[in-house]
Amino acid sequence: MHAQRLVSGVVTGDGELLIGANVLLKGTSEGTSTDVDGKFSLKVPEGYDVLIVSYLGYVTKEVQITSNSLSISLEVEKTTLEEVVVVGYGTQKKSVVTGAISSIKAQDIENLPNIGRVEHVLQGRTSGVYIAANAGQPGSSSTIRVRGITSFNGYGGNNPLWVVDGVVINDDIGFLNQSDIESIEVLKDAASLAIYGARSASGVILVTTKKGKEGKINVGYSGTYGVSAPANTLKLLNATQYAALMNEKSINAGGDVLYTDLSALGTGTDWQKAIFSDRAPKSTHEINISGGNNISNFYLSFGTQDIEGIVMPEISNYSKRNFRLNSTHKLSKIFTVGQSLGYSHQKSVGIGNTNSEYGGPLSSAINLDPITPLVETDPVRANNTSYYPETAFRDENGQPYGISVGIPTTVGQEMSNPLAYAKTRLGQYGVGDDFVGNAFLEANILKNLKVKSSVGGKMAFWGGEGFYPEFYLNATYANLKNNMSRSSNKLFAWNVENTITYGNNFNGHDVNILLGQGAYQDDNPVGLTVVHSGLPTNDYKQASFNYDIPASDKTGYAYTSEPHRVSSLFARVNYNFSEKYLFTGIIRRDGSTNFGANNKYGIFPSFSLGWVVSEEKFWVDNVVINFLKFRGGYGATGNDRFRKFSYLSTIGGGRNYTFGPEGLIIYSGSSPDAPSNPDLKWEETRQTNVGFEARLFEDMKFTFDWYQKTTIGILQEVVLPGYVGSAGNPFANVADMKNTGIELELSYRKRFNQLNFNASGNFSTLNNEVTFLGNGIDFITTQTAGFQSMGPVTRTQVGQPYNAFYGYQTDGIFQNYDEINAYKNAEGTLIQPNAKPGDFKWVDSNEDGTITDEDKVFLGNPIPKYTFGLTLNADYKGLDLLIFAQGMAGNKIFQGLRRLDILNSNYQTEALSRWHGEGTSDDYPRLTNLDENGNFGKMSDFYLQNGDFLRLKLIQLGYTLPKGVSSKLGIDKIRLYLSAENIFTWTEYTGYDPEIGGDVSGIDKGYYPQAKSYNVGINVQFK
Amino acid sequence: MNKNIYITLLIGAFFISMISSCSDDFLEVQPEGKPLESAYYQNQDEAFAGLISVYDLLRKNSGGFENMITMMNAGSDDHYAGGGGATDGVGIQSFSNYTQNSNTIPPSFWNDYYQGIFRANVLLQKLPDVPMDEALKTRFVAETKALRALYYFNLVIMFKNIPLILEPLTPANMYEQVQADPADVYVQIVKDLNEAIPDLPATVPAAEKGRLNKGAAQALLGKVYLYDGKKSLAAAQFAEVNGTPGQTNQYGNKLLSNFNDLWVVANRFNAESILETSHSSVGSSYWGNWGSSADEGNTVNVMVGPRGYVKIGADAPDLPSGWSFNVITQDLYDFMKDDPRFESTVLDIKSMKEAGKVNYTEGYQNTGYFLNKFTPRISDVSTGTGDAVLNYKQNTYIIRLADTYLMEAEALGASGARAQALLDAVRVRVGLPSVPVSMEAIKAERRRELAGEGFRFFDLVRWGDASAKLGPRGFVAGKNEIFPIPYKELENTKLVQNPNYN
Repeated sequence: MHAQRLVSGVVTGDGELLIGANVLLKGTSEGTSTDVDGKFSLKVPEGYDVLIVSYLGYVTKEVQITSNSLSISLEVEKTTLEEVVVVGYGTQKKSVVTGAISSIKAQDIENLPNIGRVEHVLQGRTSGVYIAANAGQPGSSSTIRVRGITSFNGYGGNNPLWVVDGVVINDDIGFLNQSDIESIEVLKDAASLAIYGARSASGVILVTTKKGKEGKINVGYSGTYGVSAPANTLKLLNATQYAALMNEKSINAGGDVLYTDLSALGTGTDWQKAIFSDRAPKSTHEINISGGNNISNFYLSFGTQDIEGIVMPEISNYSKRNFRLNSTHKLSKIFTVGQSLGYSHQKSVGIGNTNSEYGGPLSSAINLDPITPLVETDPVRANNTSYYPETAFRDENGQPYGISVGIPTTVGQEMSNPLAYAKTRLGQYGVGDDFVGNAFLEANILKNLKVKSSVGGKMAFWGGEGFYPEFYLNATYANLKNNMSRSSNKLFAWNVENTITYGNNFNGHDVNILLGQGAYQDDNPVGLTVVHSGLPTNDYKQASFNYDIPASDKTGYAYTSEPHRVSSLFARVNYNFSEKYLFTGIIRRDGSTNFGANNKYGIFPSFSLGWVVSEEKFWVDNVVINFLKFRGGYGATGNDRFRKFSYLSTIGGGRNYTFGPEGLIIYSGSSPDAPSNPDLKWEETRQTNVGFEARLFEDMKFTFDWYQKTTIGILQEVVLPGYVGSAGNPFANVADMKNTGIELELSYRKRFNQLNFNASGNFSTLNNEVTFLGNGIDFITTQTAGFQSMGPVTRTQVGQPYNAFYGYQTDGIFQNYDEINAYKNAEGTLIQPNAKPGDFKWVDSNEDGTITDEDKVFLGNPIPKYTFGLTLNADYKGLDLLIFAQGMAGNKIFQGLRRLDILNSNYQTEALSRWHGEGTSDDYPRLTNLDENGNFGKMSDFYLQNGDFLRLKLIQLGYTLPKGVSSKLGIDKIRLYLSAENIFTWTEYTGYDPEIGGDVSGIDKGYYPQAKSYNVGINVQFK
Repeated sequence: MNKNIYITLLIGAFFISMISSCSDDFLEVQPEGKPLESAYYQNQDEAFAGLISVYDLLRKNSGGFENMITMMNAGSDDHYAGGGGATDGVGIQSFSNYTQNSNTIPPSFWNDYYQGIFRANVLLQKLPDVPMDEALKTRFVAETKALRALYYFNLVIMFKNIPLILEPLTPANMYEQVQADPADVYVQIVKDLNEAIPDLPATVPAAEKGRLNKGAAQALLGKVYLYDGKKSLAAAQFAEVNGTPGQTNQYGNKLLSNFNDLWVVANRFNAESILETSHSSVGSSYWGNWGSSADEGNTVNVMVGPRGYVKIGADAPDLPSGWSFNVITQDLYDFMKDDPRFESTVLDIKSMKEAGKVNYTEGYQNTGYFLNKFTPRISDVSTGTGDAVLNYKQNTYIIRLADTYLMEAEALGASGARAQALLDAVRVRVGLPSVPVSMEAIKAERRRELAGEGFRFFDLVRWGDASAKLGPRGFVAGKNEIFPIPYKELENTKLVQNPNYN
C-alpha cells in the first residue's frame, strides 16, 4: 500500500488545448492521455515526481510535479534537424551530412498502400529516383534508376544496390515487408556512395528494419481489403467498324469487298471485357509485436498478403507471407549482439506474356477481330471439326470458345481466345522462399572506440511448376503433347564485414573515423528443371509427376553458377568544426571476380565539404532563413555487374564434324569463343554534386542539388565485324555517358489551431547523353529495342540519350497526286514515286533525293526528363487526409499495341479518323492490305506519343477513434480509413498506362496496366 | 586490465580476418565446364578438337538453310529459288531474282567462312607449341592450311574484295582491316595449298574419310588457278589429280561407272569423290541449332524435295515432303531432256502428277521439276532424335573427278588430245559418244554433268557468259558477278561496298 496522490492538469501547445497528448509517469509504464478539453488526471505513487508529456509535432517535455494541478504547455517542434540519417556503416546527424541522400521514414510509409514491393514507396517521394512498374501483374518488380543510367549491358548494372540491415542484396527485394521498414535512405552522390565502391555507381538504397524500443510491449495490427479494376480500357473498333475498315483495306489493295452486310455484325465481341476483372480482390493483414528493456529489445512481425490481378485473375495473382524477428541484446557494458531475420514465401501466377505482342490475353484482346464470338453458339460452326477440332477448349455447356476462323479476315498466330488461353495456364505458378538476415557483435572497447563484426546472408529458394496441356487455340497455335515441368533453384549469398569506429569531440572538433573490411559472395544460383511429357491426363488438377511414363518422355537439366565475389577495404573520415565546417572523405578498394587480371582491384575515393552558414557569427538570426547549409562533393564509384568471366577467352565446344564411311561418328570440335580482354574493369562513374539545404520561415524546408555524373568505360559487348571470325562478342570498357540533373525537395509543415498541415513535393530533371562509343564508332546496335518486322526502333548514338527512338520522320500525308508529284528532289525526280494519296510523306532528311534507311533521325527520348511528386497531409481532430500524386514528363512512348504482321488485327478507334479521301486526315494514313509505302511497317514518329503523365496515386481519408472510445476497448489507438489508388491519370497517351519500365523504357507492346483500387483498412495499436 | 585484453584480441582478430580474406585466392573463381584458351591446346586431343573446329565449316556446302549449293543454284539459269513463297528466304530469293543488296545477302556466307579462317588462324598459331606427335602435327598444319585456302577461295569468288587475315585479330587492329587486292588473296591461297600439299597423305584410312588428302588439295589448287586465269598452272595441277582419263588416278580416284551411283546416299566417299562435305543422321540437329556449328545434317535434302507430296501410284517414288527450293527451269529441263543423266538430275513430278500418280503442293515458281540428285527418299529420313528434316545425311561433293576432268579440259584451252580424252571420259561414262572438244562442248558438258551441284553460277561468271544467260533474271554486268558485302561489315569498319551495290 503506497501512498498515492491524484495529479491533474491541462496540456496546451502554442496556446491551443491538445487533445490526446500522452502523459507518462517517468520511470513507470503508467500513463494516460488528455481528453477533449486537453485535461488529464493520473494517480501518482509516492516517490515519483516527473511526468513526460508528448504530442506529435511538439517537443516532448519532462515536467516536475510541483503541484497536484499542473498547467503544461508544449512547444512546437521547430525542426527535425536532429533527424538522423543512415549513411552506410553508421548514422549521421542530418545537419552535418555532406552528401545527397534522400530518406523516407516509417511514419511516411505507414499509411501507404502495400502492393507487395517496397520500392513503390520511393516513387514520387524521393528526388532523383525514377521508379516505373515493369507490369501491373501483382508482385511485379519495378525498374529503379537513381540519377539516370550508367551502364549499357543487360546484366543489371543500372539497378541500384540494395543493402538491407547491412546485408548486400542485389535486386531481389521482394521479400521485404513494407510495414517492417524503419527507414529507407537513397544514397545518390559519389560522396555518399563511394563507401560502397565498385557496386555503387547506380545508387545505393539502404533499408533499415524496425527494432524494438525500450518500454512497454507494443502490439499493432493493420488490415486492408480492397478491390481493383483497370484504370482505363482501350477504345477498339467494334464489329461493324472493324468490318468497314477491313473492306476499305481490301479495296485499297485492289481486293474485294469482304463484308457486305455491316450492320448485321453489330458491336460484336468486346475482348477486353473478357479479360479484365472489375472486382479483383486484395487483402493484407499484418501483426507486429515489439518491446524491450535496457538489456534486450525485439521486434516481431507477421504479415500475409493476397492480391489478384486485373487481367484474368485466375491466371494472374500473387500471395506473400512474411515474418520478421529483429533483436539486440546487451551482453555486458562492452558487448552488444544483435540479429535481424526476415523470411518470406511468395507465390505468383502470371498470364505468361506481358508487354509482348506475341500473345497472352492482353495482346490477344487488342488484336483479335471483334467478329469472332467469345463462345461459338452457332451449331453449324461449332460442329465443324476443321474449325473446332476435338482438342479445342469448350465452356461448361460444351460450346467451344470462339476461334477466329472461317471469316474473311481471320486473326491467327499467337492471338487466341483469352478464355481458352487461360486454360493452358492453369496450374502454372512460381514460388520463392527467402531468408535474409544478419548477426553482429559490437564491442564498445573504449569510450571512443567501437569494433563491430557482422555476418549477413541471403538464402533463396525459388522455382515453379507448370502443366502445359495438349491444346488447340487456333490452326497455328496448338500443342500436341502435354508436359509438366518443375524447376528448383537455390542461392546462398553471404557477407562478412568488420569495422572499427573511432569518434571524439574536443574543443569543437568532431571527428569520426571508420575503418572496415568486407568479403562478399553472391550471384551463385544452382538449379535444375525436370519435364515429363505425354502425361495420361490433360487436366491440370490430375497432372502429376507420379504417372508412369517412359523414360524417353522425361527430360531434365541442371546448372551451376560460379559465384561472384568481392573483397573490400574501406575507410571514412567525418570531421566537423562546431557543426559549421564539415568534411567527409571516403576511400574504398574493391577486388571483384568480374574484373580482368590486369584490373582485379579498383579504388574509389570521394570527398565532400559542407558549410553551415547559419551557424556563422556573422549570420544574423532572421525570420526568413533559419538554417542554411551549402555542401558539395566529388568522387568515383564503380559498377562491376556484368557477365562473368568476360575478361577470359574461353574455349567453346560443339564445333563438330563427321568423319568416317558411315557418318555415324561425330567428332567434337573446339575453338575460342571470343577474344579475351584481361584489361576489363569496372565501369567508373565520377560524380560532382553541389547543393544546399535550408529551412525557411521556420516551417519550410528546401533542398537543392545539382549533379553531373560522368561514366567512363561503360562495358559494352563489342559486336565484332564478321571478318574477325569470332564465335561470340567480347566485352570491353568502351563507352562514356553523362547524366546531369537538378533535384528539388520542398516541404512545409504548419499547424493551424487543431489542423495539422503538411505538404511535400519534389522535382527532378535528368539529362542523359552518350558521349563516346569507341574510336570511329558513331552508334551501336546492341541492346536496342525492336518491334516485329520493323527491326530496331531505338539507337544508341553519340550526342543522344541512351537508346533514343530512331526512325523516319513524317511530314503529313499526301492528299492527292499533285502533292506526290510536287515532292521532288533537286534533279526534279520524284522522291516517293510509288506513293499514293493517303500515304505518309517521309522527310528526306539527308536530302539525297530518295527515301532510304539513311533518312532515319532521332525522334525522341524514352527516358523521362522530369519526374515529380507531391504529397499532402492534413489532420484535424481525429480525421486525417492523405493525397499523393506523382508523374513524369519529357519522354516519348512507342505505342506498339497492334501486331503488324497479322493483316487483320483490330485497330484502336483512332483508325476511324484515317485518311480516306482528300482532306480527311493529315496524320493517320490510309489503310491498305498492301502497305507499299511502309506507313505502318516503318518505324516513324507515327508510333511515338508523349509520355507525360500526372497520376493521382492515392487519396486516403482516415478517422482515429477518440481515446475515450478506444481505451474502453483496451486499445491505445484505432484508426479506420478509406483509400483510393491510381484513380486518375492525366495523360495524352493512348495505351493502357504511360508508366512503362524496362531496360529500354517506354516500349509498349501491350503493357499489363496498373490497377486502380478502392480499399478499406484499419490500424490498431495496443500498448 | 580486462579491457585491454579484449582490445588486443579484437583488434588482432580484426586484422587477421582482414588480411586473410583479402587474399587473391578468394577472388580466383574459375569458370566451370569451359576450358580457358590459355589452358588449352596442351595435347594432341585438344589440337585435334581444334582441327575439327576448322573442318566444321565444310558443312557450309550443304548444311543449314543458307548453304552454298541451294544459294548458288538459285542464282543460276538452271534453277529458281522456289520455296514456299516470294519471301521464303529473302537471301536466296533476292539472289535468284537479282535484287540482292547488302541487307538481303545472308551474312553467314561471309561470317561462317571467316569463322573457319579464324579457327584455322588460331590453330596455326597454337600448333607449334602443342606437345604431340610431330608427324601428326605436320599433317594437322597441312590440313588447316588447305582448309583456310578453301574458305578464302569461297570468299574471294563470292565477294572478291575481302580482308586477308592470317592471324587472330586483336582489339587493336580489328577495325583497321581493309580489303585486300584479290590478287593477293589468290597468292595466299596458292601459298597455303602449296605448303599443304607435300604434307598431306596420299590417301586417308577408312575411319578418317572426310579428311583431306593430297589429291583434294591439288584439285583445289587447280581450281584456284583456273578461276585466277592461270590456265597452264591449273592444267598441271589437274593432271596430277586426273591421271589418265578414265583410269584410276594415283590416289585411287576413278569415275564411277554408273552415274546414278553418285547420288546413292550410302555411296559416301566413293572413288569419284575428291573432296566432299560429310553429314550425319545422328547429330540430333534441331531447329534451335540448325545451321550452326553443331548441326551435322544435310539441309539441301529437305529444301529441294517437293512440297506436300502424296504418293498415289504404286510406282511413284517414296518421297518425304520437302520445301520445293531450287526447282529446275524449263530451260535446263529442255537442255537435258534426252541426256542419260536426266533421270538422276531431274525429278519430273509434273508428269507424274499429270499421270495421276502423285499429288503435291505447288510452291513458289513451281515448274514441277525437282533436283533429283538431292531429293531424299523415305528411307533416307532420320529416325533418330532431333528434328527429322534436319538430320539428312547425304554427303555432297565439293570436287569430284568428273569436275576436275572438265576443268582440266578447260584449262588446256579446250583443245588437244588430252582435253579430248578428258571430255570423252566424262561422256563415255554415261554412254554418250565423243564430240569434238571445244569450249562450247565443255560448257555444255559441265552444265549437264554438274547440274544442281552449285557450280553453274561461278562457271557462267568465269566464262563471261553470265550476262547473256542471267540478264533476263536481272543480272547486271559489272555488278552481279559478285555479292554485295553484308551491311553489318561496313558499320564502323574500313571496308567499302562492292561496286554498284548499296
